[in-house]
Amino acid sequence: MSVLLAIDTSAGTSVALFRDRKLAAEVNVVDNMKHAETIGTAIAQVLIEAGLTGRDVQEVVVGRGPAPFTGLRVGIAAAVMFAEGSGARLSGVVSLDAIALSALSQGGASEAQPMLVTTDARRSEVYWALYRGLNADGVPVRIEGPLVSKPAALDEILAARNLKPQTTELRITGAAVGELALALSAMGSLDPDVSALYLRAPDAVEPKAPGVFGKRVSS
Amino acid sequence: MTDFTIRKAREVDLDEIMRIENACFGTDAWSVQNMRDELIGEQRFYVVAHAQGSADQLIAYAGLAISSATSQGDIQTIAVSENARGQGLGRALMNSLLAEARGKSLTEVFLEVRADNQTAEALYRSLGFEQIDIRKRYYQPDDVDALVMRLTFAPSLSAEPLVLGIESSCDETGIGIVRGNTLLANVISSSMQLHARFGGVVPEVAARAHLEALRPTLQEALAEAKVSLSDIDAIAVTNGPGLAGALMVGIGAAKALAISLDKPIYAVNHLVGHVGVDVLERGTLETPTIALLVSGGHTSLLLVRDLINDVELLGETIDDAAGEAFDKVSRLLGLGYPGGPEIDRAAEGGNPQALRFPRALTLPKDMDKHRYDFSFSGLKTAVARHVEVAQAKIESGEATEFSVADVAASFREAVVDVLIGKAINACVDHGVMRLLLGGGVVANRRLRELAQQRCNEKGIELRIPALSLCTDNGAMIAALGAQLIMAGRSPSSLNFGADSTLSVTTVQSP
Repeated sequence: MSVLLAIDTSAGTSVALFRDRKLAAEVNVVDNMKHAETIGTAIAQVLIEAGLTGRDVQEVVVGRGPAPFTGLRVGIAAAVMFAEGSGARLSGVVSLDAIALSALSQGGASEAQPMLVTTDARRSEVYWALYRGLNADGVPVRIEGPLVSKPAALDEILAARNLKPQTTELRITGAAVGELALALSAMGSLDPDVSALYLRAPDAVEPKAPGVFGKRVSS
Repeated sequence: MTDFTIRKAREVDLDEIMRIENACFGTDAWSVQNMRDELIGEQRFYVVAHAQGSADQLIAYAGLAISSATSQGDIQTIAVSENARGQGLGRALMNSLLAEARGKSLTEVFLEVRADNQTAEALYRSLGFEQIDIRKRYYQPDDVDALVMRLTFAPSLSAEPLVLGIESSCDETGIGIVRGNTLLANVISSSMQLHARFGGVVPEVAARAHLEALRPTLQEALAEAKVSLSDIDAIAVTNGPGLAGALMVGIGAAKALAISLDKPIYAVNHLVGHVGVDVLERGTLETPTIALLVSGGHTSLLLVRDLINDVELLGETIDDAAGEAFDKVSRLLGLGYPGGPEIDRAAEGGNPQALRFPRALTLPKDMDKHRYDFSFSGLKTAVARHVEVAQAKIESGEATEFSVADVAASFREAVVDVLIGKAINACVDHGVMRLLLGGGVVANRRLRELAQQRCNEKGIELRIPALSLCTDNGAMIAALGAQLIMAGRSPSSLNFGADSTLSVTTVQSP
C-alpha cells in the first residue's frame, strides 16, 4: 500500500490523502484566515477517514504557492515536519500547476490558446501562469510564470503576444495537488524543493542613516 | 477491491449496520433498539465503512464507548462483512477509533475478544493491546473464553515525559528537548542578523527565517539530545504572545509533527515558559515568585503563585519594550543592532549619573494606575533631544564633543533603575521575597548587577537562569509542556491558533 499526503495552504486549507494512487479522503477549508487553526484537524481527519496513522504515509507533497505569505507558510511548515515525523519523502509543487491540472483535465489548451491560471495576490495584484496543455504523463506544461502582476500589466503582456488564453474559475484542492504529485512521480519529476514562492520581497524599509553622524536626530 | 472510505456513523445507517450485525453475529447479534441507542448515544463514537463508489452499501462498522470521567474507553463492537475481509479494513476501523480515543485524551482503551479468534487477537496485539484478564466461558452457547485486552496510551507520560518544544514567537527559532525536569537539548537559530539593517525585528523577515530554520534546528536538537523522534512522548509549542505570522509557522509545524508521531500536543504561553525554565536548573520552581521578563518584545512583571495554575500579570510596558528602547537608542547613537550589547560596550567608562534621564511612571501620581507598568518611549525621546542639542552645540562651535559613553551609561541606568525598582516594589508589596529574571535583556550586565545589589539590600532571593535559557528558546516551552503533563493536564485540542496578545493567565490553550 502506498500512501500520499497532499497539503496546500496557498488559498484556504486543502489536505488530501491518496491510498494506492486513489483519493481516499479530502478536506478543503475555504477560510483563508485560519490556516494555523485548521491545518491540524484537516490532517487528522483525512487520516481518520482513511483509517491510517502518520506512520503509514510514505509521500508528503506540498503546494509552494505562490500565495500571500502568512498562510502559505503554515502548510509548508506542516509538510516539512510531517515528513520528519513519519519518515515520508517530501516534495513540493507549484500550486498554480495543480489548478492548471484540474482545468486542463476538463479541456485542452494549445500554444495558440493557452490556459491562464490566476489567483488573488491581494494588493490589487494577481499571481499567474500560462499553460499550453498536459504532457503525455498528464502534467501541465507551464510556458510562463509563476509571476505576480497588476491585472492591467498582465493584460498588456498577453496583448503584446497576441494571446487570448482560456481562463478557469477553479480553485485549488488537496486532491489536485495529490493528482499532480502522482503524475510528476510517474515521470520521475518530483521535486524535493519546498521553499515558499513569495514572489515579493518583505515589506520593510531600511531607516535613513541615523545617529550622531546624521544631520538631525529624530525620535 | 482495496478502496474503502470510513466516516462517522449516522442513525440512518442503522438498517445497514443491522444487516452486517446479524450476518456476523447470528444469535449473538444486538437488538435493533440496542444498536440505535449505541449509535445515537452520548459518549459513543461509531464509524462505518463503504466501498468507494457504493456509499449506500456498508461493509463494516465499529464503535467506541468513551468515559471522560475515567479517561477510559471500550471498543464496543467491530464487524466486517465476510466478503470485505482481508484488506486491512479491521485495522483501519480500529485506527479510527483509537485516533478518536487519543483525541479525547483517554489514557486506556479496553476490549474483549473471543479466545478462538486468533486473527482478531493478533490485530489487537499489533495495535499495542495486551491481555490483562480472561473471562472463562464468556461466550455462550459456544462456551468460549473472552480475553480482556487493554491499550495504554503513552505510559511514560505521567513519570518523566520526553517533550519536544517549539518556539517561534519572535526572531529565534528554538527547538528544545527535555525529559521531565532535565534539559537534553536547546538549539536556537536566530534571524537577528537579518534584522540588523532594519534596526529592529521585521515580522515578515522573521517568519520566513523560521520556515527555513525548522528542519535543521529540529535535526540538531535531536542529535544534541541523542534521541529519535519516535522516542518523543509529547510536543509543546508556543501559541502566544508574539508575532502572529511567526507563531503560525511553529504551530503548523508542531501540529503536523504531533499527528505524524501520533503524540499529544500542548499549546503553551511564551511568557510563562520564561518562568518555567527555572525547573531545568533547580528541578522545581519555588513559588510564589515575582518574575521580571524583559526582551525586545516584552516588558512584564508577573506574580507567579503556581506555575501552571496561578500566574498574574502585575504590569507591563504601555509602549516600547525595554529591548526595543535599547535598539532605538543604539541606533540614534549611531551604534549597531541589537542595541543591548552595543549600549553595554559604549557605556564602558561612561558616568551613569552624568545625565538625569526620566524614569517614567515612577512618580507618586502614577502609583495608583501604573504602579507596575513601564514606559520607555519618553526616555528614548529624551535621549534623542539631548543628542540633538549636543550636536547643535558642536555645529555652532559652543562645544567640541559630547560623550557617547555618558549618554549610553545614563540611558542604561535609567532603564535598569525603573525595571529593578518596580520589580523590588512588587516583591515587597506582595511579601514575595523571590525574584526571577527572564528574557534577552537579562544579558545586560548592568541589569544583573543592579538586580543583585537591590535584592541583597532587601533580602530578596534572586534567580537568573543561564543566559541560553533566558533568551527565547524551545527548551523553556518543552519544560512547561512537561510540567503540564506531569500535573496530569490533558493535551490541547488540534484547533488552537496563534494569539499574539495571549494573556499570562492562559498558561495552556485548550
